[in-house]
Amino acid sequence: MMQETLKHDDQADLARTWFVAARAMAVADGTVPAVKEASAGLYAQAILGLSEDDCRHAKSPERMKNQTLVDCLAAVHVLPADAAEKIMTGVMMIAFADGHMEPLEVRWASMLASACEMSDEDFQRCCASARVIASMFNPSMPPVDREEGS
Amino acid sequence: MSQEHRSNFEFVEQYDHRISHLGGQAEQYVHTDPDSCLFKLRLMVEMMARRLVELQAPRLGEMDLISILRSLEQYGMLPKKQADGMHAIRRDGNAAVHGSETPVPTAMRRLRDAHRISGWYCSMIQRGATVRPGQFVPPAGPAADEHALAMHKAAEALEDSIDERRQATRDSLLLFADEEDVPTEVHRIVSELEGLDRVAQAAGEPLVDAEFVAVVMAMEMEQLLEHPTLGLGTREAKREAEKQYRKIREGFELREAMYAEERRALMLHHQRELNDRRGRDGDGSSPKR
Repeated sequence: MMQETLKHDDQADLARTWFVAARAMAVADGTVPAVKEASAGLYAQAILGLSEDDCRHAKSPERMKNQTLVDCLAAVHVLPADAAEKIMTGVMMIAFADGHMEPLEVRWASMLASACEMSDEDFQRCCASARVIASMFNPSMPPVDREEGS
Repeated sequence: MSQEHRSNFEFVEQYDHRISHLGGQAEQYVHTDPDSCLFKLRLMVEMMARRLVELQAPRLGEMDLISILRSLEQYGMLPKKQADGMHAIRRDGNAAVHGSETPVPTAMRRLRDAHRISGWYCSMIQRGATVRPGQFVPPAGPAADEHALAMHKAAEALEDSIDERRQATRDSLLLFADEEDVPTEVHRIVSELEGLDRVAQAAGEPLVDAEFVAVVMAMEMEQLLEHPTLGLGTREAKREAEKQYRKIREGFELREAMYAEERRALMLHHQRELNDRRGRDGDGSSPKR
């Protein structure tokens, strides 16, 4: 990867990049499956080390407004290799979460891996790790509650 | 609660006697025995959930309450707001069963939730009926002394902070923020993905090409499908992964064929225009502007 030396300590940018990348993979088949939705947030905090505040802030209108997939590809391109790999692994975990693959999921994975300038081996490694994590999910998980009221 | 207002759950009587009865009992216990209030409310939620399953999804069969609620949510039969309230009653009811002492304000909150849920429940079991639950009137309790009032106030504050905390965690975990228009966002993202797909088809595959990605994903998918979580046999998993891979391949081939056809049509059009121009030049006529 080209940008090995770039220091990316801006957690907020990492969070935004993650959520755009994760959304694209999660909704590539036109729906928002619950198992994918839940796994995205857990991964952000458990593996990427983002805080709850980072995650919430990343989805605020002012941060997310006008963010395109091309912006996301540009953002992963300048990430340090380890962060880019973690994002790639998380995105593939989302792809595997429901046990189905769709053409646009394949396309997004290809675009993202290319933007990270990954070798085929790197990509395979990310996929293997993603599969191990995805095997821990229950694909029949119900939708996550969105509204307040408990 | 005033003398005239006998129960917040009276309106339920004409739709489901048992639910109305349980709601009334929960009201009676809310001040004197909040734990019992929660037992009644939990039972009430369970009976509502089972009735909804009987009416709308009998195939779900015998399950515990949490599975029933999750299945109803999954099949779109339980709106998120009602599900939230039912889960809160289930959770607090279970805690009370297991010996956790319930403060009166907590029981009162769940009673209010149960009242709201009851209105929705009646409209579900009696389709087309106009259900008017009315405003929830908190059951009057014994005159509280200063100490009891302070405790209630502290318990209310604790409930508020728990709700706030729970909401913050949920907001952080979700892919989309509450204020976002999710269907529009999904549509926008899918359109953009389709655009990227067309670009890749027309301008050439990126560094890690999609065909390779599909092969790797299919191999991983086969292993995943064999995992006990998904529980397919080796052959079945292989067949399923191959099926999914074939579908992706066919999609690539179809898009490639469409692109080739588009290019052929463009070439034909270009050739025809060229011939027309040559014909006109041969006739000595000047090209029209």
